Amino acid sequence: MKKSKKITAMDIVLLALCLLLPLGAAWIFPACGAHEDGSVMACHWAGRAVLGAGAAMGALAVLRLFLSSGAKLGADAALILFAGYGEMLPGTLISLCMMSTMRCHALMKPAVIVVCALIQLAAAADILLRIRRERAEKR
Amino acid sequence: MIARLSFKNLTGRPGRTAALVLLAAFLAFSIFGGSLMILSLQRGLDGLEARLGADIIVVPSSARSKFNVNDLLLQGNPGYFYMNKSYADQVAAREGVEQVSCQLYLASVSAGCCSVPVQIIGFDPATDFTILPWARETYREEIGRGDILVGSDVNVPQDGILRFYNVDCRVVAQLSKTGSSLDTAVYGNQQTIQALIAASQERGLNQYNQIETDKVVSAVLIKVKNGYDVEDVKDDINIHVRKVVAVRASHMISGIADSLAGMSRLITLFIAAVWALCLAVMAVAFAMIMNERKKEFAVLRVLGASRGRLAGLVMSEAAAVNLLGALAGIALALLAVLPFSAAIEKGLGLPFVIPDAGRVLLLAAAALGACLAAGAAVSALSAVRVSRVDPSLMIREEN
Amino acid sequence: MLRAEGVLKHYDRLRGSSNYFCALQKLDFALEPGRVTEITGRSGSGKSTLLNILAGLLRPTEGKVRLEQTDLYALPDGELSRLRNRAIGVVPQGQTGLRSLTVLENVLLPWQLYSRGHAPAARARELLERVGIADLEQVRIGELSGGEMRRMAIARALIMQPAVLLADEPTGDLDDENTAAVLRLMRDTAREGTAVLLVTHEAEAARYADAVYRMEAGALSLQAAK
Repeated sequence: MKKSKKITAMDIVLLALCLLLPLGAAWIFPACGAHEDGSVMACHWAGRAVLGAGAAMGALAVLRLFLSSGAKLGADAALILFAGYGEMLPGTLISLCMMSTMRCHALMKPAVIVVCALIQLAAAADILLRIRRERAEKR
Repeated sequence: MIARLSFKNLTGRPGRTAALVLLAAFLAFSIFGGSLMILSLQRGLDGLEARLGADIIVVPSSARSKFNVNDLLLQGNPGYFYMNKSYADQVAAREGVEQVSCQLYLASVSAGCCSVPVQIIGFDPATDFTILPWARETYREEIGRGDILVGSDVNVPQDGILRFYNVDCRVVAQLSKTGSSLDTAVYGNQQTIQALIAASQERGLNQYNQIETDKVVSAVLIKVKNGYDVEDVKDDINIHVRKVVAVRASHMISGIADSLAGMSRLITLFIAAVWALCLAVMAVAFAMIMNERKKEFAVLRVLGASRGRLAGLVMSEAAAVNLLGALAGIALALLAVLPFSAAIEKGLGLPFVIPDAGRVLLLAAAALGACLAAGAAVSALSAVRVSRVDPSLMIREEN
Repeated sequence: MLRAEGVLKHYDRLRGSSNYFCALQKLDFALEPGRVTEITGRSGSGKSTLLNILAGLLRPTEGKVRLEQTDLYALPDGELSRLRNRAIGVVPQGQTGLRSLTVLENVLLPWQLYSRGHAPAARARELLERVGIADLEQVRIGELSGGEMRRMAIARALIMQPAVLLADEPTGDLDDENTAAVLRLMRDTAREGTAVLLVTHEAEAARYADAVYRMEAGALSLQAAK
């Protein structure tokens, strides 16, 4: 496979989405805040887990920029799996609060699912485009 | 051939095509997203009106000083208050009152099961005409002691048990969405709530420590007889029954209805503005692009393309761009509204209930049709101009 | 086979001493199948105007143009377009490729306008071979030189095996070797039964032509005929 290290638009899109996850978990769509006495609710740990997974995906997306085309395919596959894991964190793997109107349910969970789904779509599209490009070059 | 050539033309200039697709996406996003918002707001209001059921609600006048009655029943912030049952009898005896049903309120504390206080509402299954019809949509069996129904926004644990004041309550059904704070409340029969009030008193967590739970009610819901004016009956109660205040149920939601109307107007204005701007830009962009490609169209005429074929080529390119853009816009709008409907409801402070899938699909189809029609209209002028291109431009001698 | 009868062309002026500009004086002209006819003359003399009119692309002020018995300008646009597509191949001046298509796709374009059955890709490749750009078939038009694009246009004009071929400066931008190849192709095309018109400044073209005309100030005169 040719070693193409050119940064494409899709690389930027993936990077932006993967960075959005940890930044969003920290500032844009965080879990519910702590009680007055400082105690945290169930969703706090879900938020922390999303932050961690998002940071890992962000790091992988940055590293990915410097990989060869073939290695990028592997990174894309990893991102698809990571993002699937991310989607399951809030509500499925880690419980959230009791009321659907609370921030963890209303904002954090849908935002995480949407961003992770977009990451999966972008990574899958990148895989398809790279394979097509390789086939065209071989011809 | 036209489809193939259109596809080649569009993929040959990806930047230009992407810009046109983006414009079409804005059109679809605004009209579909905006309409979905308006419909959801309307559905929320309709559902709320249906749920209230009663014409008049009577509460103790002392409650007014502690709580905004409108807020209590519709906007969240759980509360509770009590009055002697005899007031309910007095209200029931007034002229024009057809049916009464009493409710008993309590608020849980943010401890034990719940991370936030929960509104607890007790009703009398024998006389109730607001909660029971709603409950029967999902649960047809008897609601016994210890059984509770929960609003759609309450997440039920695996074991189906919610504990309030150390009393286990069995969740038997989840009610359908209203888009109001009724969705975060918990409902049980009078015996269940009386037991909970007693438990709260034992733990010193109830500000009404002296009341006897079986001798009080929190609110009396009234249905007015046919032929009587609801306003007159309300005034009559306020004048003749002391220490209570009667409120028209419709007034409780009139503020919401006004806000909804205002919000709908704002959304409609937004859609109109986006459409005016996007269509104008699209028309100019199309005209410029077709002008730039005049030579190409002249070549096609020289090769034997008829005027109709050329116009068809332009229209098919426009249709492809608009279709792709509209689908993208609709998908984005769905992504923005559906998963975040709870956040939207909270942000707007208005009842917000997404319509059923069939209606949403219909709306999407209508939005798609509108975008395609608008795109076709905008490109039609360019299509006519292109079809009239002078092919002899190609072979005219250079001076 | 393609006859211009009493054709003349005036353009209305907006200002100026006379009411109109006479681009083409009244003339009768015919292209016969199997013959190469050359029209030469200075720029602005009216050669391209005549070519436009013969191609069915420019309505004459007076006169008729007949392909066999069919009066071209009496047909509605749809019918005339189909007839031109089928029977009249045109090699225009300048760069006339569609930028979004490859060389092969451009050559097949006339067939694709009213597509029927399988595209004649083999014939397209053969034509590209004959004009010397077979190795460029998958290249996009934007990457071709002026000469390569001109040769593509010649191949495109011949894809439908037209009854008439009208070529406006087909050897412009070509080197000597390619010029000779193109003129030979014109000769061979005529031999196959096509009526060929060459509008050109190329001195070499006269060797391949059966008749040479000169256009001056819109007036056509026969210079030589075989």
